[in-house]
Amino acid sequence: MLKRLRENKAFQGTILAIPTLIFMVGLLIIPLILTAIISFGTRSPDGNVIYGFSLHNYARIFGISSECQNGKSICFDPLYMQILGRSLSLAFNTTVLVILMAYPLSYFIARSHPRRRNTFLFMVLVPLWTNFVIRVYAWMMLLRTQGVINGVIGWVAGLLGLHFVPLEMIYTPGAVLVGMIYEFLPFMILPIFTSLEKIETPLYEAAADLGANPFRTFLRVTLPLSMPGVVAGTILVFIPVMGTFIVSDLLGGKQVILVGNLIQRQFLDARDPTFGSAASLILMVMTLIVTYFYTRKFGFGEEIISA
Amino acid sequence: MKDKLMKVLVVVVLASMLLAACGGGAPASDEFVCPEPENKIEVTSTELNIFVWTEYIPAEWKTCFEQVYGVKINHDEYSSNEEMYAKLLAGGSNYDLVQPTDYIIGLMIRQGLLQQIDQNKLPMANFNPNYLNKAFDPGNKYTVPYMAGTDAIIYNADIVTTPPTSFADLWNPEYAGRLVFLDDSRVIIGMTLLTLGYDINTTDPAQLEEAKVKLAELIPNVKLFDSDSPKTALIAGDVDLGITWTGEAFTAQQENPAFTFVYPTEGAVLWQDNWAVPTGASHLDAVYAWISYTGQGDMFWLMLRDFPYIVPNQAALDFAETNQAELFDAYMNSTITNVPQAAIDNAHLIEDVGDATPLYDQIWTEVKGGE
Repeated sequence: MLKRLRENKAFQGTILAIPTLIFMVGLLIIPLILTAIISFGTRSPDGNVIYGFSLHNYARIFGISSECQNGKSICFDPLYMQILGRSLSLAFNTTVLVILMAYPLSYFIARSHPRRRNTFLFMVLVPLWTNFVIRVYAWMMLLRTQGVINGVIGWVAGLLGLHFVPLEMIYTPGAVLVGMIYEFLPFMILPIFTSLEKIETPLYEAAADLGANPFRTFLRVTLPLSMPGVVAGTILVFIPVMGTFIVSDLLGGKQVILVGNLIQRQFLDARDPTFGSAASLILMVMTLIVTYFYTRKFGFGEEIISA
Repeated sequence: MKDKLMKVLVVVVLASMLLAACGGGAPASDEFVCPEPENKIEVTSTELNIFVWTEYIPAEWKTCFEQVYGVKINHDEYSSNEEMYAKLLAGGSNYDLVQPTDYIIGLMIRQGLLQQIDQNKLPMANFNPNYLNKAFDPGNKYTVPYMAGTDAIIYNADIVTTPPTSFADLWNPEYAGRLVFLDDSRVIIGMTLLTLGYDINTTDPAQLEEAKVKLAELIPNVKLFDSDSPKTALIAGDVDLGITWTGEAFTAQQENPAFTFVYPTEGAVLWQDNWAVPTGASHLDAVYAWISYTGQGDMFWLMLRDFPYIVPNQAALDFAETNQAELFDAYMNSTITNVPQAAIDNAHLIEDVGDATPLYDQIWTEVKGGE
């Protein structure tokens, strides 16, 4: 009996999965259920959760209010939808720019001599060893009004005898985008590299033999075969960017509120965990929907995941 | 190929760990000699878990307390009252001492997070009475004063040609894109309420709506919201003026004397940090020993050296006057630390607004969320 159990593949699988299962249930599933329960509660004056079933937190996020000033019975306030939209557009812009920058670099690395390839990959990975926040601080030093970049340009301008007004770089939307691209670039380079590396050289030769010029070869052979890498990279970049706010706080000067800030404030300054929970769930559902439609169109990057 | 990459990775990781390990070892403290406790309490605890503001305790206090009482200090830090409150409320923490600011104390007491203290075991006579028996804790049943300060206007006199004298002046279009504000909804909405002649702690939705409209005009002019270190951007020249607190203003001024701290005509925001003991603290004897020992004049004067705020501890000022004349004069001669009585009388305390808290947050989100 025991022996049969020991030889049972399904049983072995279960045993191997148990540590992860405990982890996932304890630290993901249960907290998620609690978040859902809290999101239907209401807030006491001191910020405690009064459990119950109320949809007012969700109504607040979607901006549906029954306390209207112009005598209507129902009105719409797009405040929180605008914040979600802002996070969504930042995530979208970051992802697109990261793809545009990562693809040529990955292509270069994949086509370089195998001996150099490791060195290049190594260089892509090195920044990841330093803490994320410290690297953002490094960008602050670069972008300051009297920072490194303005200092160097000013020095060169001085040598040329030109008058130079320091560029306003830090605490602008451009600075946020630069920080985001920098932060997430490696997560796009690696999967695209993996899929490009797997393309066999004879395929290119075949395309050339059949009369395709390099541009056509890229469009009809390279690009389709590397799509799984782009998809996997997009998922790795888009989802974390949706919830992040450190880069926009430090490089953007906290001028805007993103959905990550909004949620954090509910658990601290606003002391409204019910609204914070509802906002977290909406963020998760929205990210899921976007990812769902994206992967339905482009696949899940399966080849990369299985590789 | 992959093996080679792994090898390189392993070597570099090991090398960096080795380097990190060699970098340890704190520099030896200078010649500070630990004073004797004025009133040595019998302590059986071997540990004391303190939960304090980031960079708010002189290093010598820990060394001396460990030396004199043989108690190990476990030291955790927070950077906002809300963070500290959330951690205590979540339970499971075993802190013996925290440093709440005035407005959050009432809430903490109502939530049963604080326990009463025994004043007889503490050097209450050391404190300036102006900082005792405040509205947030009448009779000091729960708290002992630590440090105090103000939130007011700072500007760089070399660059700002029209110096602001009131919060209302900050709406001057000349300052657009040059302002740094605290990322603190209560202070910023509060100062807007003051410019409209309303109470800083109002819960009246109509007054708050008016403040929201007025603040929304100003927000696009603010280049940076920073509650961690606004002086950095001021000193670096990214911004020229704004709202900041005592310690930041004092340090910025030391760096560049052109930085001027102004108490606005509407009245500054006054705040006070305090020692308090969480419910369930298990090292009470060490708690009393710690507050008493660090609260003596010959220990607390170190705060004058390290953290330029308002010192409510009169014994420390007296000690500094005779023994640390230079520090004492710097403290007394600066209107940033030695706040004029008129500015104190004119100042406002932030209080908990209960049910209106989410409304304040929503206003903050709206004024910052404006397209």
